[in-house]
Amino acid sequence: MQSAIIQPARGTVKPRPREAPGRWLPAPTLALQRLYHWSVALLGTRLYVGLDASSVIAAALGEGLGGRRVRAFARVPLEPGALAPSPSGPNLQRADEVRGAVRRAAEGLGRRATLVLPDGVARVALVEVPDGADPRDYVLFRLAASLPFPAAEAIVDALAAGGRRAVGAAVRRATVAEYEQAAAAAGLEVERVHLAPLVALAGLMRAGARDAVHAVLGDVAMCLAAFRGGVPFAVRSRWRDRSSGEASRLRREAARAAALAGDGKEPARLVVSGAEATRLRQELGESAGLALSGLADWPEAGEPPSWLGGLVS
Amino acid sequence: MSRQPDFSTAPRCSRVPAWESLAVGAGLVAVVLAAGGAWRAREEAQSARSRLTEVRREVEAAAARQRILEARARGPARGLAAAEAPPARIVADLASAIPAGVRLERLLIDYLRDGALEMHVVARDAASWDRLLARLEGAPCLREVQPGPEAREGEVRTVVRARWVGGGP
Repeated sequence: MQSAIIQPARGTVKPRPREAPGRWLPAPTLALQRLYHWSVALLGTRLYVGLDASSVIAAALGEGLGGRRVRAFARVPLEPGALAPSPSGPNLQRADEVRGAVRRAAEGLGRRATLVLPDGVARVALVEVPDGADPRDYVLFRLAASLPFPAAEAIVDALAAGGRRAVGAAVRRATVAEYEQAAAAAGLEVERVHLAPLVALAGLMRAGARDAVHAVLGDVAMCLAAFRGGVPFAVRSRWRDRSSGEASRLRREAARAAALAGDGKEPARLVVSGAEATRLRQELGESAGLALSGLADWPEAGEPPSWLGGLVS
Repeated sequence: MSRQPDFSTAPRCSRVPAWESLAVGAGLVAVVLAAGGAWRAREEAQSARSRLTEVRREVEAAAARQRILEARARGPARGLAAAEAPPARIVADLASAIPAGVRLERLLIDYLRDGALEMHVVARDAASWDRLLARLEGAPCLREVQPGPEAREGEVRTVVRARWVGGGP
């Protein structure tokens, strides 16, 4: 798909890339760029639509032999309160507004989509799956007591995290259905439903994340994952408090996350990505780095969501 | 455990990315082409093998022919090879060796056994028979002269075996 020819819908941000994509070609010639575009068009593009409290983001990702690349990107802001991520109650407070935003974001980018649900809708835990146990059953067994809804209503899946470890998550079926119905009403055919923190964690693992506590930020919740040797050894989900002093609270949370399974000999290094990561990085100082960046070719798009970084990592 | 967990309410089989389908297709095409190439190569090998056998046979025939020609070219002393000598030539040589008083009744020439001769002769008397043997053993065109059993009823009837080796031009 040629992202340059997509016209932005009203109210959306559909920036053109700085140059034709060339991450793996430092100075591509025009012929090579054309070749790249033809290959991407040939190899297929997949549409991802992520929803969070502040915006709906649609990204068309070209899937090729060299990995995924963002071919088109749109962000449609939501008015405060239109969408409130929650594990148990209704999420789409003003469903019409959200549906409209989804429609505008995905306009012209495709019909089949993978939905990415925001931080805060799921219970997430790192578990060690015993031999012979079904990972989904075991995750549900571990999370059942902490779910704010009946376990029978949970949709459970798990992400392999090295060895027998898995990052499991449980989402209420009604919550997923709420998002799926909004997407369907916006004209999309939902193929899969992912969770933003799990997509980000998968990207961190794929990229061989350095030893640190990685804070993957959503609009209302965040996931803290302490990594060692490229795999997580502790995972926590927290609601965000974006009031003054969030950076210092984040640092303390990171230290607690590292202490859960770490040796505590060194101060926890914190790596931040996702919503408002730039502001938090500035407040935290030099020690905070960038974990996931999915829009190197799209500087006008602003701060990318962590799930998008996870997809292209 | 999924590669990327799916939480949809109605999960469907994961769509295989187009590039993976293309790669599989390309792989299958490559396998078919390779199989076709292997089949053609096998047929070519069989054809080459049969051609080689044919050429070997031709080479052996040519070598045999060469040996004959070389034997012929070695000089007039040896004369014609037995295999190539016409019957008239052999009969003429024998006639010159048979003395008076001896009659050649029957002659067998075995070309497959390198000019082996079987002569059925009738000698008028024992003296003629002795002269015949002496002449045959002294003839340069004959070797391995072996007189067979004699039947003497006035005249001597016998079979003499020998090998014609030529010796003339």
